[in-house]
Amino acid sequence: MTDTVIKLRLNQQQLELMDRTIARGVAPNRVALIRLAIREYAAARKAETKAKPNDLEPMR
Amino acid sequence: MSERRILFEHILEPGTGKAVELLKGQIMRIEQVEGNQCADFNCFNLHDYKEFMHCGRTRTVHGFHPTKGAFMWSAPPRERAMLYILEDTVGRNDVLFPRCSAYVYEAAYGFAVHTNCHDIQAEAQREYGLTPDDVHDSFNLFMCTGVDQGGHAYMTRQTTKAGDYVDLLALIDVLAVPNVCGADVMRTSNFALKPLKLTVFTATDTDLARVPKTPVLASQRTPKDFRNPSIKTDRPLRRDPAYKPDFPNTPIRITELPVVLSAEELAAFNTVKRADIYGEDDAAALRDLLFSWWEERFLQAHAGAPSIESE
Repeated sequence: MTDTVIKLRLNQQQLELMDRTIARGVAPNRVALIRLAIREYAAARKAETKAKPNDLEPMR
Repeated sequence: MSERRILFEHILEPGTGKAVELLKGQIMRIEQVEGNQCADFNCFNLHDYKEFMHCGRTRTVHGFHPTKGAFMWSAPPRERAMLYILEDTVGRNDVLFPRCSAYVYEAAYGFAVHTNCHDIQAEAQREYGLTPDDVHDSFNLFMCTGVDQGGHAYMTRQTTKAGDYVDLLALIDVLAVPNVCGADVMRTSNFALKPLKLTVFTATDTDLARVPKTPVLASQRTPKDFRNPSIKTDRPLRRDPAYKPDFPNTPIRITELPVVLSAEELAAFNTVKRADIYGEDDAAALRDLLFSWWEERFLQAHAGAPSIESE
């Protein structure tokens, strides 16, 4: 399976928040930050599903 | 100071309110005399009445029922903690309902004249030169309210007793204006008007030490920061022909950021993306995921509320 490209459209304020987050050492660059977000967000939803199997719509 | 010293005592008779200068470091106690009485409350910066208590910000930070440990905040762009709730023997107050008004009693009950919190506040505030238009959304002490499943606010009876009280500690010099709620044909005060007791006393060092620190931020602006610091003194609104808009951070510029996702990352994204909202627009869904993640990981307060440093 090949890689997929998603083109995010972000304004200067959203990029500023990302850059300040990167400056805290959370991720080395913007793309890495987004990949981290996907991993952690998906993991959190998976954990929620295990904890609350009957809750179809947790706090998202 | 090791002991509280009483500076002022006053009985608020039914149908009345009182504007009281409450200086930084002083405490106003609002106390039940007989019990089951709601108090409405307004609060202004004593040195600049344009800074006043903002129930909207307060309920965002502390919820619909601020109690012991909550601050009362001023409106943007000031957004300072004006008061701190030092004690609350009941724990059921409200920042959801507006003040009752003459209109309510005329429209719903047919009264030509009836005690009401707006007019009582206005009359009390008149002692300091304020007008009926200066009365603001009230902090409703001892008022039992909630939101029903249909999204409507409701009020119900209270169970306060004589001697129950709320202590409000001034963090800046304020004009504090409590009044006996004028509602005797509603459940607010169990269908009767009763007096309330006001006591102002000095805070002790122990009292002051209990106040958590709040942020001091550049965004907490005062008139010296305003492009127009003058208070408008006439009533009609007229366009300023010299006006040139200067909105912050405009124009909003969009940057395209390509993100290459591996098959594994795409699969993870697909399991959690909000296709119910964004359909096939994966870019919008990924942007949503990014900032939703950021909120979960880094936001310390409820969404839209300023963070508060804890003790």
